[in-house]
Amino acid sequence: MQKNAPDSSSDNAAVCLEKISIGYGDNIVLKDIDFCVNRGDIVTVLGGSGCGKSTLLKAIIGLLPPLKGKIYLQGEEISGNVSGMTLAEARKRIGVLFQSAALIGSLTVAENVALPIVEFSKAPRGIIHDIVRLKLEMVKLGGFGEYFPSDLSGGMKKRVGLARAMALDPEILFCDEPSSGLDPVTSAEMDQLLLELNESLGITMVVITHDLPSIMTISDWSIMLDRSVRGIIAKGPPEELENSPDPRVHAFFHRQPAPEG
Amino acid sequence: MEGGLPFEVRLTSEGEYILAFNSPLTYDNAGAVWEGLNSLIREDHPSSLVIDLGATPRIDSAGIALLRSIERMCERLGLNLRIESMPPSAGHFLTLIEKKEPPPPEKPHITTSRVITKLGFLALHAWDEVVGFYRFCREFIALSARDLYHTRRFRWNEMLYYLELTGANAMSIVFLLSFLLGMVMAFQAAVQLRQFGANIYVADLLSLALTRELAPVFTAIIIAGRSGSAFAAEIGTMKVNEELDALEVMGFNLAEFITMPKVIALMIAGPLLTMWANFSGIMGGMVVGILTLDLTSYGFMSEIFSVLSVKDIMTGLIKSEIFAMLVGLIGCFRGFETGTGADSVGRQTTSAVVSGIFAIIFADAIFTVIFHSIGW
Repeated sequence: MQKNAPDSSSDNAAVCLEKISIGYGDNIVLKDIDFCVNRGDIVTVLGGSGCGKSTLLKAIIGLLPPLKGKIYLQGEEISGNVSGMTLAEARKRIGVLFQSAALIGSLTVAENVALPIVEFSKAPRGIIHDIVRLKLEMVKLGGFGEYFPSDLSGGMKKRVGLARAMALDPEILFCDEPSSGLDPVTSAEMDQLLLELNESLGITMVVITHDLPSIMTISDWSIMLDRSVRGIIAKGPPEELENSPDPRVHAFFHRQPAPEG
Repeated sequence: MEGGLPFEVRLTSEGEYILAFNSPLTYDNAGAVWEGLNSLIREDHPSSLVIDLGATPRIDSAGIALLRSIERMCERLGLNLRIESMPPSAGHFLTLIEKKEPPPPEKPHITTSRVITKLGFLALHAWDEVVGFYRFCREFIALSARDLYHTRRFRWNEMLYYLELTGANAMSIVFLLSFLLGMVMAFQAAVQLRQFGANIYVADLLSLALTRELAPVFTAIIIAGRSGSAFAAEIGTMKVNEELDALEVMGFNLAEFITMPKVIALMIAGPLLTMWANFSGIMGGMVVGILTLDLTSYGFMSEIFSVLSVKDIMTGLIKSEIFAMLVGLIGCFRGFETGTGADSVGRQTTSAVVSGIFAIIFADAIFTVIFHSIGW
């Protein structure tokens, strides 16, 4: 089904970025980034290494305040001088799967998943075990609750990270390179999992990746960043980007060396 | 709603209790629903329950887990339960949670044999650590001896970097603490010695106690807290990041590449810092002597020079050399012992300080006996 194009004027936006610039001190990594992600869509953010994909994610989830511009999560501004409370409330509606999964090594898999539930929900203690069980079953790791992260493979860690990101039933899920470091089969399973969660729960997803098969499989829309312009160079369905006349986009989608200049 | 319950209760002519939910069943109200249902069962003793979800706009994970818990409770109490109008997606997720009740958490059962077993394991673990540390030291000494002949192999730049880090950068804190220690000691001694008009002997007591005992021990404890912990944390983090594996695979000898520059730097810094602590402590004591005991700086220093011998200073320096080596070796050993994960780095860092201080005090006791027996 063809979905609506991500558009800054959309009222149906789960995430909206309004001309934001991001950087560290004087080093501006991205400037004038402007796009919205519609509710229920999976949008992939692409680009070569060092183009600012992860920096963009950090800004959207409130870890790195933008130098200018505004960021909205479900219509509510979370950039600028918003209170810590507003940011904390907004964060409860999002889940983040970090590139390294970022599991707490001293806690078991079940305790990792239970962490946000115990801390931020009013769920009775008695049912938390079942919620954790449900989340682990959703990522197909039902019997691994008592394992420690160090006992798991890279793919399993990512799936536990996904279960933890999904613990509080977020409306928006951000994934930073969910398939990096995974073999093609595990990577495809991860893609399938994201698609299933998107279809069954209607979760909006923003996925940072440069894995071409993943991009083609999961994206409703893709946004491509480039270091040379410190911004977006292409936006659209991945099939459209694949045939883009822009040499930089063409090189990315056809695994070719970057064009000169 | 009835009686403040988060659902509507209707009683049918067949004696069935119909619980009609018309609000979302989510994280926000799962607790209230669970408590409401429990009190309903306690007060009304229904034999049959029907949960009607027809008007529920949303069921999230907590709602699904709650429904499974209600099913289990009804089964345990022998109640008939029927769930009506379950949304298909929620029904699918409900099947992912096992019907079987989760096992209760195991309570530790403490028995005498269990305590003995645990003590046995602790003893074995301690023995393993001692053997491991012995092998670690043996390798370090062997490599040091080899590098004495092949000095080009030694990583001089690295050693100088750690010498600055553990020696030069520690001078201010060693000065401050030793100065204060000297002042406190002089004050305490003055209170007693003044009664006998033996003010000048404050200088004797201070200089002998500092050079032979306090300065080396005190400096070594500062080194254990500053440098031993830093070595353990640095090596531990390298291990967690697989940097040690990379070095080993590239063919580096880890003891030579990582341990030696650090420990040798510390063995140079330790005696120098101890000399510095001797000086600072005596300065602290002299300030007290001049201000409160009517002594002159010349008189104070003359007394020190008359009582202190090279032997006293050497005693302290020999101790400080061994203390610094122990602290450095223990810090590195603990770093290499790190498992996987950030928590392990923290544990080993703490352990580096605790074991380092223990080793200092233990070695000091041995030195005292040895020096006493040889008449030093």
